Amino acid sequence: MATLEVKDLHVKAKEEQREILTGVNLTMSTGEIHAIMGPNGTGKSTLSESIMGNPDYEILSGDILIDGQSIVGLPVDQRARAGLFLAMQYPAEIPGITNAEFIRAAINSRRPEDDQMSIPAFLQKLDQTLTTLDMTQEMSERYLNEGFSGGEKKRNEILQLMMIEPKFAILDEIDSGLDIDALKVVSRGVNAMRGPEFGSLIITHYQRLLNYIKPDVVHVMMGGKIVKSGSADLAVKLEDEGYAGLRDELGLDVKLVDEE
Amino acid sequence: MTVVTQTAQEIIEYAKQTNEPDWFTTLRLQADQAVAELALPNFQKINYRSWPINVTQRPEVNEEPIELTELATQQANIVQLGSQLLQADLPAEFKEKGVIVCDWLTALKEHADLVQKYFMTKATKPTENRLNAEHVAHLTSGLLIYVPKNVVLKQPLTSYFFQDARQSRDYVHHLLLIADRGSELSYLENTGTYGQQECPANIIEEVIAEPGSHIKFASVDRLGEHTTAYLNRRGYLEQDARIDWSMGMMNDGNIVGDFDSELVGAGSHAEVKVVAISTGQQVQGIDTRVTNYGQHSLGNILQHGVILAESSLIFNGIGHIVHGAKGAEAQQESRVLMLSTKARGDANPILLIDDNDVVAGHAASVGRVDEQKMYYLMSRGIDQATAERLVIRGFLGPVLSALPSKEVRDILAEMIERKLINGQKDE
Ligand SMILES: Nc1ncnc2c1ncn2[C@@H]1O[C@H](COP(=O)(O)OP(=O)(O)OP(=O)(O)O)[C@@H](O)[C@H]1O
Ligand SMILES: [Mg+2]
Repeated sequence: MATLEVKDLHVKAKEEQREILTGVNLTMSTGEIHAIMGPNGTGKSTLSESIMGNPDYEILSGDILIDGQSIVGLPVDQRARAGLFLAMQYPAEIPGITNAEFIRAAINSRRPEDDQMSIPAFLQKLDQTLTTLDMTQEMSERYLNEGFSGGEKKRNEILQLMMIEPKFAILDEIDSGLDIDALKVVSRGVNAMRGPEFGSLIITHYQRLLNYIKPDVVHVMMGGKIVKSGSADLAVKLEDEGYAGLRDELGLDVKLVDEE
Repeated sequence: MTVVTQTAQEIIEYAKQTNEPDWFTTLRLQADQAVAELALPNFQKINYRSWPINVTQRPEVNEEPIELTELATQQANIVQLGSQLLQADLPAEFKEKGVIVCDWLTALKEHADLVQKYFMTKATKPTENRLNAEHVAHLTSGLLIYVPKNVVLKQPLTSYFFQDARQSRDYVHHLLLIADRGSELSYLENTGTYGQQECPANIIEEVIAEPGSHIKFASVDRLGEHTTAYLNRRGYLEQDARIDWSMGMMNDGNIVGDFDSELVGAGSHAEVKVVAISTGQQVQGIDTRVTNYGQHSLGNILQHGVILAESSLIFNGIGHIVHGAKGAEAQQESRVLMLSTKARGDANPILLIDDNDVVAGHAASVGRVDEQKMYYLMSRGIDQATAERLVIRGFLGPVLSALPSKEVRDILAEMIERKLINGQKDE
């Protein structure tokens, strides 16, 4: 079992002054699926980028640890090799390298020089995974995300996730822009990963996704921190009552985007 | 009365030693006389005037021994080290069809008709600039390739030209490639340096495409770190002739590359593709020109380059359409990508249009590596250096994928990777 801990994390954007994360605390283990919900602009993507190590963000205080080891000083590629994965809200397009070549390079980057994954083993696994995700061979031969539709990019993030098999995967709005069928396919992919060696932090705006991927814990983020955690029922409650209700119940001084 | 200068005496001595024909020695002496009055060629934004680029040393017969195995050559037909011809192993097809491939001294002695007709008479002139004149005066090595009329060669010809830098000496090398009427040739050239001494190199390559001929000219240039080079490649295209240039500038030292295509004949067509990588502290200045004289002639330039560490890369792209070239077209795209804050790059489009009934266009950019792309690649575990190379691969892709030969594409891709990995060590 591995653990991911976020301790009293305060973060701002490099070029800005304002604190976006104002003290996030979160602990999860492999074998668990956590969901984070929260209003727009509350810092969910900032949290995922900070955990991954996006250089656009600066950690002011607090810590992020994997198995008790701080990763705050590590660059993004080392965090990835330590077992982190972030399915991004807006994946980049990279011409010049095919999806398949890229995934193989990513897998091998985590393995020692003398234990690289062989091409047949890779192709076999790729084939299986493509089938699980209803993706064509052709998609894996195209340049990485180049010209992919929004939904195709999301599906491709899950393809990478399943091929790389990280310890912890953060999925940032993996459901946005997906049609109903694609939502089921993507959920099938994530559920296939479920197991004692895998943990996931799922950021979503819609309770619907959580019908397909049952979370063990649901967190609500507001004003740059987690304000409430609970079981899957919390998501259902939020869907019914909205964030204003919860805010008032907790007596928080947080402005929501749709309020004047 | 002519004063016999020291250089002139040295030339005469060299001519005696090699027994070259008098008419060529006369050309040398004329060129040597002109040197003093001629200026260095001028290339916008390429400032090389203080470089040790002039060739001035006594021309000599260099017979310093070498084992062929010391030079890494793969599938070479021709291997030259300085003026020594180390290997000449032509495809059977070449002999059967009467193709001439020989070293420079043999060309002067046995193919005077061809040399006299084409050597610096069409594509460029001995007195065009000072470096050209120095070239003729000091020329000691080279290759003649002649493809007879209507001969279509299926096998490519691969040559390796090594500068011998085991001692400090001038490298003055000439290629004269003539594709006669209706012939077709695919040629792959590799230049390189053997040895570590500081040397100037002065290389002029003339590619003459007679009417209806088609030449695929590919080159991988890897001159050494201590070489300061003038590399002048000239295409001269007659009616309906075509040259596909695919050039990889992978040198490690300072170099001025002057790559020009004279579209003389109606309907002639030049495709110029250049990929360049600059690393360390080097400067590579590349001046690529197409000049449309012929009606309905077409010249396309596509050049992409990458700049690492504290190096520089300048791409000039010149599209010149002269008056009377009705229906001519000149297009160009030059892009450079800088990988460090100390890298210097320029992409400089120049259009000189002297006729109305023509089409011309250009695109140019100087950019840096996209941080978003780097972050995305690295977020999957790929280290920074590899991620950079992947982004670079994507950047160079449009040029590589446009090369007519898959073989050349693969060779260049490998050389690019090699040069980048080396260059990244200085980052
Ligand atoms: N790189 C940045 N530079 C400046 N401000 C930023 C940056 N990243 C985030 N912010 C700001 O921080 C706040 C939180 O943004 P973030 O993207 O983390 O929100 P979110 O919870 O993911 O919202 P959404 O639900 O809309 O995706 C926003 O006000 C945003 O404008
Ligand atoms: Mg977000």
